Amino acid sequence: MRYLFTLLLFLVPALGVWTFVEADRWQLWFPQNVSSFGGEIDRLFNIIMYMVAFTFIVTEVCLAWFVFKYSAKNETKGAFTHGSHKLEMVWTAIPAVALLFIAFIQMRTWADIKFEGNFPKDGEYTREKPIAEVWASQFDWRIRYPGDDGVLGTVDDLERSWEFVVPVDTKIVFNLRTRDVIHSFFVPEFRLKQDALPGHTIPMWFEAKKEGIYDLICAELCGWGHYKMSGRVTVVSKEEFAKRMSEIKAEWFSNGKELGE
Amino acid sequence: MRLSPRFSLVAAAGLAAWLGACQLDKDQKPARPVIHFSLSAATQALGEDGQPVIPADVQTNIAGSLAMLFGTPENPQFQLLPEWKDEGFNPNWPAYPVGEDGSGEVDLAGLEADNKVYWRRQLAAIEAGQWGRVFVQDFTPDLREKWNELCAQTPEEARGDDFKKAAAELFTGYYPRLSASAELYRQHCLHCHGPEGGGDGPTAPFLNPRPRDYRHGTFKFTAVGKSVPRRTDLYRILDEGVTGTSMPSFRRFSQAQLHGLIDYVRLLSMRGMVERSLVSTFGEEEMLTSGDVADAYLTVWEKWKKADEKALMFEGEVPLPTPESIARGRELFMDAKAGNCFSCHGPEGRGDGVAAFALDPETGKLKPTYKDDWGNEILPRNLRIGIFRGGRRPIDLYRRIKNGIAGGPMPEAASTLTSDDIWHLVHYVGSISERPQHAHKVASHGDEHGQSSSHGETPASGDGHGTEKH
Repeated sequence: MRYLFTLLLFLVPALGVWTFVEADRWQLWFPQNVSSFGGEIDRLFNIIMYMVAFTFIVTEVCLAWFVFKYSAKNETKGAFTHGSHKLEMVWTAIPAVALLFIAFIQMRTWADIKFEGNFPKDGEYTREKPIAEVWASQFDWRIRYPGDDGVLGTVDDLERSWEFVVPVDTKIVFNLRTRDVIHSFFVPEFRLKQDALPGHTIPMWFEAKKEGIYDLICAELCGWGHYKMSGRVTVVSKEEFAKRMSEIKAEWFSNGKELGE
Repeated sequence: MRLSPRFSLVAAAGLAAWLGACQLDKDQKPARPVIHFSLSAATQALGEDGQPVIPADVQTNIAGSLAMLFGTPENPQFQLLPEWKDEGFNPNWPAYPVGEDGSGEVDLAGLEADNKVYWRRQLAAIEAGQWGRVFVQDFTPDLREKWNELCAQTPEEARGDDFKKAAAELFTGYYPRLSASAELYRQHCLHCHGPEGGGDGPTAPFLNPRPRDYRHGTFKFTAVGKSVPRRTDLYRILDEGVTGTSMPSFRRFSQAQLHGLIDYVRLLSMRGMVERSLVSTFGEEEMLTSGDVADAYLTVWEKWKKADEKALMFEGEVPLPTPESIARGRELFMDAKAGNCFSCHGPEGRGDGVAAFALDPETGKLKPTYKDDWGNEILPRNLRIGIFRGGRRPIDLYRRIKNGIAGGPMPEAASTLTSDDIWHLVHYVGSISERPQHAHKVASHGDEHGQSSSHGETPASGDGHGTEKH
């Protein structure tokens, strides 16, 4: 009986670890990474995951072993203890060191992605000259490109709902804003997630390395329609981007007649 | 180890309960509620004597006629008139999309490119032969049906290139039937706009402004003034959403699906218009004949068919704002004999003009003067916050000012105003609606660095430091 129970108990963590090992093959793992800093985020994720996996396996093996060794059949009497100072020191120090380790190794990556001082400065788009403003509202996304004057918040801004078109292999800087409640800009393929806060203009940047269509998802429960607050980031070649912008502009300054609308 | 009997009992009971719950879940999946079209509150209104204004048997007649003309929510369908047969006009799918003879309104071939993007995952799965990964949502029931049919016809071993081609065509050529669009409407529109399109769905009471009631055939943000909207107008609303209201953009659906939704919204709108027309006919003649019903149906259809002719277009290139034009626009805005905009929108365009508010004698407070066609209190737009429900594009503002807004107090522009005058107004409204962010930011930067010049930083070198403080 104790063999059976030990085995059953051990089966749970074993199956859990196995799903992680096989997840990639079952296509349950991360979507492809297409942003320049996505690899860094994945590396950090993997480091933390391996640390957790190591701890998990060790503790589960110990647990199963104790269930086996101290089962009710060995009618030994439990010894009372007031604790071990040394042991407590150890199990406080090890997690503290682990947390410090995580805190230090992520600093560079975090600073590169989130600190405005590290935003792209020499490219076409900078903190002062973002490509667009992304407005979140219940329950859609609106993208506002500066018009010919290159300044946002002027009357010639081009506005388009839902689809954020950006050129490939270019450092894209944009502002994130919200009209109503807290939303979150999340593009899994870019490994990029940022909450949009009412009253704040939050600058963000990314560089997409591969053309394609990527889902833009709201990752903050923002109301009853949160589930359908999706959008799209379309990464196109630079020539195609220029073409798309001129299309948007033509529609913006349409006289109604030429486009038949 | 011996299990205590109590533990075994509890464990067994728990397991049984869990299995039972699973089984229950399977069997008692709640039945899909059937929805019906009901008559509007106005049709069912009671007179002063507590009796219905329209007798119950006439109400039954109206409901029956409407069901005959427009079908039910489960099976919506336009009634075909004999004279349409000769014209080759069939408002129902599949004859309605542009056919080889050029009839119809929707160009299916034009939707193919969009379908290829919308169904890209399904098409990739078909190409790779991963049939299990071809997922068809339940709001495209007709496509799902056809896909299942196709799969049933060809066993998996026999699926070759021909099958792949047929399957791909199914997705790229998809245009929803009316019943499929009704299903999409049911899942994504009904909770606000209601089963009949009366703007009275369960979530409607929480919204300000209230969702549109289609039954009048009046839609605010169109290019056609007081007429019923064109397909293009409805498409633009679905595509872009209505900024500043609870109507989001529905571009997440394919263009074919949006056109399908328009088909259904038009059906609901026509149904409501026919109902209103029958009620008013009965009010005048105290009786209804089948001829009245056919007349009402035909009249309503003629209006929708002619909508395209009513659209306000502008000949030539959209003019760009100049300081002179903006100044002239300001004059017209403030001129009671020309634009007269200030009387409602206020001298600064903040939506606080004197004409828009009246003193409520009961509470002694100000309340909106105007109500829209649906009886909701309505305020003039604040023109200074850059939110224009009908769109911010110059042509949108041009149409709004020139045509007014159907169903609301915003009037048509005075006939003395030329199109140049309208453009001046558009430019003035545009000039007060936005605040350039960048210029503002640079100015505050300058100030900050000016004050802290003792740190030895020049504005040009303080790139990263200044911005982080904001």
